[in-house]
Amino acid sequence: MGGGELMNSLFLSVLHLINLLLLPLLLMGIIRKAKAVMQNRIGAPLLQPFYDMAKFLHKTETISENAGWIFIWTPRVGLAVAVIAAILVPWTGVLLPPGWAPATNFLLMLYLLTLGKFFTMLAALDTGSAFGGLGASREATISMLAEPALIIALGALALGAGSTDLMAIYSSPASPFIALLAGAGMVITALAELSRMPVDDPTTHLELTMVHEAMILEYSGRSLAMIEYATALRTCIFFGLAVQTLLQAWPVFHALPLLLHYAASLLGLVVLGISVAVAEGILVKLKWRSVPNFLTFAVVLSLLAAVIAAVQS
Amino acid sequence: MNLSQIDILAAGVAVLAVWMCGVTCLKMQVWGLSGQTVLLSGICVLLGREEAATGMFILALVVFSIKAVGIPVFLSKAAERMDITRDRGIYNNSTQALLMGCGLLILGYFMTPKVAVPTMMNQGTAGMALALIFIGMLLMVTRRLALSQIVGFLTMENGIFLYGLTQTSGMPLLMEMGILFEALVGVLIAGLVMFRINRSFEHIDVTDMRGLRH
Repeated sequence: MGGGELMNSLFLSVLHLINLLLLPLLLMGIIRKAKAVMQNRIGAPLLQPFYDMAKFLHKTETISENAGWIFIWTPRVGLAVAVIAAILVPWTGVLLPPGWAPATNFLLMLYLLTLGKFFTMLAALDTGSAFGGLGASREATISMLAEPALIIALGALALGAGSTDLMAIYSSPASPFIALLAGAGMVITALAELSRMPVDDPTTHLELTMVHEAMILEYSGRSLAMIEYATALRTCIFFGLAVQTLLQAWPVFHALPLLLHYAASLLGLVVLGISVAVAEGILVKLKWRSVPNFLTFAVVLSLLAAVIAAVQS
Repeated sequence: MNLSQIDILAAGVAVLAVWMCGVTCLKMQVWGLSGQTVLLSGICVLLGREEAATGMFILALVVFSIKAVGIPVFLSKAAERMDITRDRGIYNNSTQALLMGCGLLILGYFMTPKVAVPTMMNQGTAGMALALIFIGMLLMVTRRLALSQIVGFLTMENGIFLYGLTQTSGMPLLMEMGILFEALVGVLIAGLVMFRINRSFEHIDVTDMRGLRH
């Protein structure tokens, strides 16, 4: 391995470290700040999620007597799964060196994230509280509806690229139609998967309206820190994938050098985060019965992208 | 994929029609209709520039002012005056309608070779026009309120117009204007009758009017 390759892999490692350690909480801070600006208040400082994380790590945990091993293991599984996915999924366009090929299959990555969600749903049932069961059943319904949209959108891109490997998908150019349609479908699905408006209000304090928050209601201390970090990582992954898909429609994107590519992806991620915050200020949370209708738009967009990709190839 | 601008605009019209299938808010449906017609007048302008015919530009202007501005404003004012906002649909709800609309779009695409005229350029738009006609029919059949059925009728008319624009070598300008004015008068009369129905029955829900038959 020559000096140039060493520098390249060191540089990539630095980028990955920034992705894993700095960006998730920073993105959450940006979204919260933008939401505060929308609501005409100053809001918490931009680095507040970092301070929150430090605070959670200091506090002691209170665990319900009825909880078993699933309750204790879920935050660890969730965080582990999120970290693996954050390394292997090119959500900022930073591709891994070619040797990682079988691990970056998009189906593997999606179902790995679903594994984390499965454990979260089980842990919500483990404590025996009614709100946990409510949140778990709603989360199961939403995942069932959002899964086809995401898989078909990524499948459309895979058809265009000729392989199911995420690295190959995001390094080969795609037709602008497929990129825009699939990207739009992925943005809507990301809003559902991350339990953001209009599917679920992340800042609600009313348990009967919660979906994701109801599942993590019982957590405190270090486990809550792990869950919050896993949520931040998942936000970055889903929004980052959507931004990467949308940026594929820009013909110059693939020809850019690595730093510009990375900077453009980050800029796209920040713009998407701010748009989500603006949407949260404007939109009203959907009635629960209308959530399937909302997700059908995502499915239709992905279906159209997949049909275009299938017909083209 | 080498798409001309006309194909891109026609695809935009079809996608807007599919989106219109899935919304229940009447104002949004009327906006969708308006958006479709704006893109259609864009196609008119592009065709006029290709063939260097001033008649097409006049047609585009007339289509824009009547069908993209005039009729949608009239319909939304009518909806406001009758105090209706949502249309639940009769046989299918928003989800099924959206999926059916998407299926009709894909069907229209696959039927393109059968309906396109081989000697004309822009063959892809024939399939989009056919899809638009099907989606207009779907909207007319499965909507509960008379106003939404008018929107479906106008969507179907957009489809026929798109087909005539791109697959024929053009009709005389006077004939096209005649068709447009006929559509305008038809919508005005339909609006009048809708107001009368609303005044008599306090609603324009067609399912409840089945009781009139017996």
